[in-house]
Amino acid sequence: MLALHKWKILLILVAANLLLLGCLSVGEIKDWREIDWLDILGEGGISLLSLVWLLLILHSRPAGRVTNFFVAGLAGIFLASFQDTLDEVIRIPDTVSFDQWVESGLMPIGLLLLTYAIYHWHKEQLHINEHLRKRERLFREHRIQDPVTHLGSAEYLRRQLHTELLHHHQQQLPLSLLLLDVDNFAHINRRYGNEEGDRLLQELTELILLNLRRCDLLCRYAGDRFAVLLPNTGETMAQMLAQELANVIRHFAFKTRRHGESVFHSVSIGVALALDESPEHLLARANQALLHAKEKQESDIFLAA
Amino acid sequence: MKPWYECDTPCILAHQQPAVLIDLALTRGIDSHRLLRGTGFFYEDILAGKLHIAPRQCYQLLTNIRRLLPSDDTSFLMGHRLFPGNCGAASSALLNAKDLQQALELLTRYRLLLTPLIAPRLHYDADFLYIYWQDTCGANSEWPFLMEMITTALTSLSRWLSGQSLPWRYYFSHHQPRYIEQYQVHLGDHLAFNSHMDAMVIAREYLHTPWINASPSAVILAQRDADAQLAEIGLEGGFLERLYCHLLHNIQRPTSLDQVAASFGMSSATLKRKLGKHQSHFQAQYDQVRKCLALYLINRQGWSNEQVASHLHFHDANNLRRAFKRWTGVTPTVLKAFTL
Repeated sequence: MLALHKWKILLILVAANLLLLGCLSVGEIKDWREIDWLDILGEGGISLLSLVWLLLILHSRPAGRVTNFFVAGLAGIFLASFQDTLDEVIRIPDTVSFDQWVESGLMPIGLLLLTYAIYHWHKEQLHINEHLRKRERLFREHRIQDPVTHLGSAEYLRRQLHTELLHHHQQQLPLSLLLLDVDNFAHINRRYGNEEGDRLLQELTELILLNLRRCDLLCRYAGDRFAVLLPNTGETMAQMLAQELANVIRHFAFKTRRHGESVFHSVSIGVALALDESPEHLLARANQALLHAKEKQESDIFLAA
Repeated sequence: MKPWYECDTPCILAHQQPAVLIDLALTRGIDSHRLLRGTGFFYEDILAGKLHIAPRQCYQLLTNIRRLLPSDDTSFLMGHRLFPGNCGAASSALLNAKDLQQALELLTRYRLLLTPLIAPRLHYDADFLYIYWQDTCGANSEWPFLMEMITTALTSLSRWLSGQSLPWRYYFSHHQPRYIEQYQVHLGDHLAFNSHMDAMVIAREYLHTPWINASPSAVILAQRDADAQLAEIGLEGGFLERLYCHLLHNIQRPTSLDQVAASFGMSSATLKRKLGKHQSHFQAQYDQVRKCLALYLINRQGWSNEQVASHLHFHDANNLRRAFKRWTGVTPTVLKAFTL
C-alpha cells in the first residue's frame, strides 16, 4: 500500500528538511550542557510516534479523501512536534517568529484535521460493516479468520455460538445451524489443482452470502464445509433456507480458469435446531445430520433429531 | 540382514514425494529460498532429477512448511495431494491397484519411495485390518503433522479409487487438537485421540471391493520397474522401523540391548549411539513395542492380564499392571473399559 502514497511521504520529509534548514540558518546549535534531555525525549517521542501512526495508516489504506485528511492531520502534528524538538537543540533568536507559528499553529490545525478524518473514517466503517454483516455478527477478530474465503473460521463460529446460544435461550427464541458440504470437492482439487479449488470456495462464499438474510452468519468450518448460523429461525424456516441454498448451488456453473468449461456441484446440508446445549454438542448434532444427508441419496438435506 | 536407512542417509529422491510438498507450498506463494532454508539443498537441485536427500532434510522441510504456512489445514491439503504421487512406476502401480488390499500391499512394498518418513505396518485379524503407522527415522515434533498428512492421503486415495468413502477408524497418539473440525471434514467422525498408538482400522470386507482404475497388467509392469528402482537403492526400511519389527518378532524371547545389537551386527555402544542420533533410547523403543502389543491383545483379543504378562515376559500380572500404568497412566482394567 505504501507505494500508493510515496508522493505524500516525500512531501512530508521535504517539509521536515526545510524546517531543519530554516532553523539552522537563523539559529545556532546549543551547548551540550544547555540541552534538556527529558524535553527531547518527550517531544522527540511525540514526533516519532506520530510518524509511526502516519506510516501505519498509509500502509493500511487505499488513496482517497479520508486518507488525505489523515495524512494532513498527522503531518501537521508531526511537523509541529518536530519543530518543538528542534527548539531544544537549536537556539533561535526572538526576532525570528516562524518557529512559533509552526509550533503553535500546526498542532491545533493538525488535531482538528485528524478529528475530522476520524469522524469520516467512522462513517466509512459503518458502510463497510454493512457490507461485512453476513460475515461477522457483532464481533470481530481478524486472527481467527480463514485466509482463503475471508470468512470466520470454526473457532470464530464456536465463539459466536457461545454468545448466541445464551442469548437465544434467555429470550426463548429459536436458533438453527446449517452445515453445508460440497459433494466430491476432492475431485476438483485433484483434477484442476488447489488454486481452482480455492477459487471455487471463494465463489461459493459469494453465492451463499447473496442468498442469506441480513441477520445470518456464514463461516468456513473446514475444508469444503461451510456453517450458516440462522438466528430467530425455527426448523421449518431453516429447512426452507437450506433447500434454497442447495438449489442455488446446484444451478451455479463454475467456470474453470484454463478451458472455461462449466462444472456443476451438489451439496449436502445438515440442519440442527439449537436446544439447551453447548456449542460443541450442537455442532456434533449438525455434523451427524450432515453425514446422514450424505448417505441418503434422495434428498440433500437432513434434519438432526 | 539387508541394510536400512538412517536419518542422515541420502535415500529419498527429492523430485518425487518431497517435490509434491514443495510444489504445493510454492503455489501458496511461499518463496523457494525461505521454504528450503536450512535443508541444505536448493530448488534448482531438485529440477536436475537426481538429488537424493536424507530424512533429516525432509524433517527440516516440514518444519519450514509448518512455519511458513501456519493454517490448520496445511497437512490435510498436502495429504490430499500425496498419493498416488510423483514416484513414477510405484505411483502408477498404486493408481492401477485392483482393490484396497493390493493398494496397501504396494504401499508397504514401495514405502521407501511413496512414504519414506512414515511406514505402514499391516496386521490382520478375523474381522479387521489394522494399519499401524511407524516412525522410520525419528520424526519427533513433526509426527502429528506427518500423521495428519498420511491418514488424509490414504483416506483420500481410497475414497477416490473405490468411489465411496470408506468407514475408516482412526487412532492417534497425540492429544485432540484445537482444530478438530479439520479432522472431521478430511477424515470423518470416527476419531480417537490419546490412543497410545497411531493406526487406521477397517473391516476386512472393504479390502476386496473392486476399484475403478483396476488394471492388473499395468500393475505388473509398473511393479517390475519399481522393483528395479528399489534394488538399485538397496535399502529396506528406516532404522527405527527395523528395530521395532525386530523387537516385535522376537517378543516371545527375553531381549536385551546387547542381543539386539548383535542381531544388527554392531556393538552395543554403536546401537546406543545410533538410537541417540534418532533421539531415542533402547528402553523407550522396547516399551513402545510392548505397550502397543499389550493394548492390542487386551482390547482386541480379550486376553487376560496373566496371559499378556507371560507373553511379554513380565514376572506376573502385577508387574504388567505397574508397567502399564507407567506407559499409559492407567491400569489395563481401566483401559479395557473404553473399548477401542
